[in-house]
Amino acid sequence: MALAFSDMNALACGFCIEDKIAAVYDHAVVSTALTHKHQVAFFALAGEVATGTNSRREIEAVGNATPGVDKGSVRVSLEAATLSLAYDPVRTSFASLEDALSRKLAARRISVAILRIMDRPAELKSVTQR
Amino acid sequence: MRMKALTSWVFMAIVLSACGRNASTPTVDRYDISKMDLKPTPAVLSTERHTGPFAIGASLNMTAELKPLDPSPVKEIRLDTTHKVIDIAPGIKFSAWTFGDQVPGPTVRARVGDKIRFSMTNRSDETVPGIQVMQAPMMHSMDFHAAMVSPQDKYRSVAPGQTISFEFTLNYPGVFMYHCGTPMILEHIASGMYGAVIVEPREGYPTKASREYVVIQSEFYAKPDPDKRKIDGAPLYVLDGDSLRKATPNYTVFNGSHNGMVNNPLPAKTGERVRLFVLNVGPSKTSSFHVVGTIFDRVWMDGNPDNQFRGMQTVLLGSSNSAIVEFLIPEDGSYIMVDHHFANASQGAIGLVSTSAKPLAKDLEHHNMAATASPTDPDSVMGKQAFESKCLACHSIGQGKKVGPDLSGVTSRRSDDWLSRWLKSPDKMLQTDADAKAMLKEYNNVPMPNQNLSDAEITQYVKYFHWVDAQPAGKATATENH
Repeated sequence: MALAFSDMNALACGFCIEDKIAAVYDHAVVSTALTHKHQVAFFALAGEVATGTNSRREIEAVGNATPGVDKGSVRVSLEAATLSLAYDPVRTSFASLEDALSRKLAARRISVAILRIMDRPAELKSVTQR
Repeated sequence: MRMKALTSWVFMAIVLSACGRNASTPTVDRYDISKMDLKPTPAVLSTERHTGPFAIGASLNMTAELKPLDPSPVKEIRLDTTHKVIDIAPGIKFSAWTFGDQVPGPTVRARVGDKIRFSMTNRSDETVPGIQVMQAPMMHSMDFHAAMVSPQDKYRSVAPGQTISFEFTLNYPGVFMYHCGTPMILEHIASGMYGAVIVEPREGYPTKASREYVVIQSEFYAKPDPDKRKIDGAPLYVLDGDSLRKATPNYTVFNGSHNGMVNNPLPAKTGERVRLFVLNVGPSKTSSFHVVGTIFDRVWMDGNPDNQFRGMQTVLLGSSNSAIVEFLIPEDGSYIMVDHHFANASQGAIGLVSTSAKPLAKDLEHHNMAATASPTDPDSVMGKQAFESKCLACHSIGQGKKVGPDLSGVTSRRSDDWLSRWLKSPDKMLQTDADAKAMLKEYNNVPMPNQNLSDAEITQYVKYFHWVDAQPAGKATATENH
């Protein structure tokens, strides 16, 4: 898995939403989540990302500590300024999850915006499409 | 009267002048933007997964030898993405990502005005029959340099199991690259996700060629798998992110294979005109493409005959640059395609256009190029790389003495223990070891500098020297690694 999710510098335009998602797409996380009828959310990050004050591991830790998030499922790309996580929609609604994550990351001067949600294999949906 | 005659002459001169212009200037602007198709339809995403072959299309060419142009004005093309293990050099099994299940991906051949109707399923989550998937599935995309479309619509990344379909019209002639554009693009290209689209001018090429081949140059940045996995008993190699970012490849190849077209030359006959469609994929090195023994009669930069040079020896191609080169085969022989940056040639960017199906070994020794046999053992590979980048200023392999000794045969002259101690601290050895002292005297008192090598690096050097000495005489050489 580490091979697929390497820690290389940003070397692409990364402009498209799907490119941002690709930077934090981890097939093992997605497969496990969907098998358990969990969902995977992909967020854009803005603010003090990649400034040295917020390391990738620190942001991952914040995500993993958010209620409803599957432990160990958070992936962060500082280069693409993107975060992904898997969560159990039975334990928490997406709105609650987003609110909690926003509050936690706001303390680190980082804002989040949802890009896509995956609740079925190979389908990246906007929030309104769900 | 004289005035009338003068007027007639002026009129005639104008007419002749105009005729002359008409004869040399095209009356039709082939680049008339108003006549180009710049209204592509939106891409379609679906979860309908392709099954069956990974590459489909009458316009696809799976090998270097190109088929004639498919006359259909609409080219239906399927190029699915896969993850598989490929052979980039003897014994070097590399964990690659592909279009159409091969590296390079199939070459598309079409014509200006043709419509490409493209679809691609990300099948990186499928196990290729007979070969275990070595890399985790991931998102991929397709970026056609031949297209004029919105990247945000057509070139978006798709997840495993997704299919993207879109179409576009070919507006310019050329030899264009296609590649995966998903971040990190450098990783995706270096892992094998690239190919060529040949777009012929609407009216065809101005010359008639007897043979047409595609030659795609690219780099590989391979390191032994940290998990020491093996394929059929041979070590698996994976992408080396460090050397990738430093742009220090260990294999630079034509058509995906180290010295591949040496063992299987591109055939030609004496007197024939050969047309090569050359694309330098990179991702980070330029190519000085040259064919030993002939001169390029025509060079069409980026594959467009309007960008013509005549009588060229070499064509310089940056990453994603291309050219069509044409040359005559003057007499029987093996004409050697090389990247004239010889560091690249020594890494495998070499091939033959030959009038003989099996060229003689002596044909291959030109510039010592085919003599660059490569080790396959990971330590020896690393040792070779280190030697070629650090030691060639003072040493050679089989080329005689320089500032220091020729290291061919060194493992029969010295024990492994002696070599290891010497590489570890030559300064200490020069104080205590009689052989070291004698060598210093023989080489004009120029001491071997202490390179501060680690034990692992020393092991790699020693293994490389053993590999050199296990080769047939003169077979192993070392070329400076820039």
